[in-house]
Amino acid sequence: MSSVSDRIEQRRAQWAELEVLCSQLELRRSATGSASQTDRFAKLYRDACADLALASAYQLPPNRQQYLHRLVARAHNQLYRAQRWQPGYWMEVVFVNAPQQIYRDPCVRVAALVFYGLFIISMLLAWQSNLFPGFAEALLGQDALDSMREMYSDDQSEARGGSFFAARSGMAGFYIQHNTTIGLQCFAYGILIIPSLLLLGDNAIQLGAVFGYMARDSGSQATNFLKFVTAHGPLELTAIALSAAAGMRIGLGWFYTQGLPRSESLRVNTMRSLPIVVAAVVLFFLAAFTEAFISPSNMPYLVKAAWGLMTSAGLTFYFVVLGFPRGGTSAA
Amino acid sequence: MNPLAVRPLDTTVEVATPEHISFDYAVAGPFRRLPAFLFDLVLKVSFLFAVAIAMVLCLSATGIEFGEQIAMFMFFVLVFFVFWFYGAVSEGWFNGRTPGKWLLGIRVISTTGSSLNGGQALLRNLIMAADLLPATPMYFLLTIDEVEPDGFVGVPTFLCGLCCMMLTTRQQRLGDLAAGTMVVVDQRGWSTMDARISDRRVSVLASYIPAHFQPSATLTKFLAAYHERRRFLGTGRRNEIARHLTPALLERFGFRSDIDPDLLLQSLYYRTFLAERNQEVLIPPELQGFSPLLDADRPKPSAANAAATRKDFAASAAIVLPNAAGAIEPTASAVDTITSTLEAPKP
Repeated sequence: MSSVSDRIEQRRAQWAELEVLCSQLELRRSATGSASQTDRFAKLYRDACADLALASAYQLPPNRQQYLHRLVARAHNQLYRAQRWQPGYWMEVVFVNAPQQIYRDPCVRVAALVFYGLFIISMLLAWQSNLFPGFAEALLGQDALDSMREMYSDDQSEARGGSFFAARSGMAGFYIQHNTTIGLQCFAYGILIIPSLLLLGDNAIQLGAVFGYMARDSGSQATNFLKFVTAHGPLELTAIALSAAAGMRIGLGWFYTQGLPRSESLRVNTMRSLPIVVAAVVLFFLAAFTEAFISPSNMPYLVKAAWGLMTSAGLTFYFVVLGFPRGGTSAA
Repeated sequence: MNPLAVRPLDTTVEVATPEHISFDYAVAGPFRRLPAFLFDLVLKVSFLFAVAIAMVLCLSATGIEFGEQIAMFMFFVLVFFVFWFYGAVSEGWFNGRTPGKWLLGIRVISTTGSSLNGGQALLRNLIMAADLLPATPMYFLLTIDEVEPDGFVGVPTFLCGLCCMMLTTRQQRLGDLAAGTMVVVDQRGWSTMDARISDRRVSVLASYIPAHFQPSATLTKFLAAYHERRRFLGTGRRNEIARHLTPALLERFGFRSDIDPDLLLQSLYYRTFLAERNQEVLIPPELQGFSPLLDADRPKPSAANAAATRKDFAASAAIVLPNAAGAIEPTASAVDTITSTLEAPKP
């Protein structure tokens, strides 16, 4: 009968080999090695598993058992690797899962109601300068309003020359960065519930006040402003409401557990929110590009209005036709 | 249920694999994760700085019309992507590790022990925005004109994430909880080798340990742990620790009571882990004629009473209490005697 140390010595060469294979696999991006190598790895991993299972029967010293735990964990990590970012999977998320989830998720309706409700109320308050004087001024500040009026005082589409595209691209970057960040914050804060609702409400009220204030004047600002927002408005507002809805879905997981343990419920609800937020990000990007390149460009207003109509129709198609519950999935 | 059988208080998570084996992962706490986060942050910021400088240099060299605007566009988009998707993409791509996590030796896995998928990586990194809350306002920044007066300028405190980590056994932040992931220490290599015992007295003493004596599982564990740590201890401390066990062992083996306790445990370790059974022991010349046995003529215990002795010993070893140590206090002279008798020659 050999001693414990001899048994360890016998196995050590194979453990070392497994470690070398692990290091090689860790450095490589894809897990596909040669067939013989993969075969060898699988065999060594199974042996290491067996060693770990028998470790206490073999009376291995604790530090050696710990080593085996680590070795098995490391090999396990290489055998069951992270699923890669497959384009097919994300296409399915955006075009199949997201619309269906959006269609049947009550959170989307609640978030849309909160957002558009506050938006419309705020817009009316800012627009009715006779009934509610000073609402927009108090909310947004006179300086901000003045600079906004100045911005839209001339028809931008005629003010600049042909290289408008390039001149505006800096702003496009800013819109993507700024608006999408707000949207994603709305989503992330959803896990804390209240910050997300506050952020959503704040955006709805501010945007509503801007719309109402700009529409108040009969001058050229109003026309210019409304012309400006036609193209990207539908996309951007919907995207904010959607990302807040996804956040709300996560927050709901805390207390509407449907019989699951609380942490499990949170996880399940978060997974359900993923397609919605991915769709929201896509919408934010579309909105940002529109806002930067189409809205301020010197295209005829007809084109911009057509684009606005087209995106609205596209969204409707996306939500209703793609999202309409079908075969079996509706029961969930 | 035996209260000793419950899981230890260690911050480890047990993971069962499809191979029908369960292994432990050590959970990474904030003191590993914060440096990783900061390293990633430095990496992100310095990358953006490098890109900005490269852009400025390119622009000044070429001078394209509206080049500034195009560069601005690219830069804003880059800032957005780097700050929101750096973690998600690198964790999805490098099997749960960002460069910072790689440096600190930690890895994100899903709570089931399998690797995380792209969706989980995306979610846990998006929700990090909530973990960073609340931000402390920095009023001195508001006095600078360039900063938007209505924009909220603040430094994230990470308090939400930290509290959440303290309250969960797997030390998950909010993003981890929501995505069903955890961060574990990605250990590798083995800590200590089996030190070969060079002291020749050990093998001699080990040969006198009765052949039927089988150390229990807990004693085996203790011996290994003692052996691993004894090199960090002084002679006095070694004896103090060893004395908790040695009186019972000496009695069981029929040894003299003045045997060095540390030496006895070392020989027991040697017997358990290193020695071949029925191995011939070469007795060095200076130890010829030495016997640790109380009565040198007494025959070694027969196999018949082996079972009984083992049971007795297990009972006595299992209930050794720390304050029982003082009960048997070998005199200094007794320790001296044994050390002088068993003094190994310097090679």
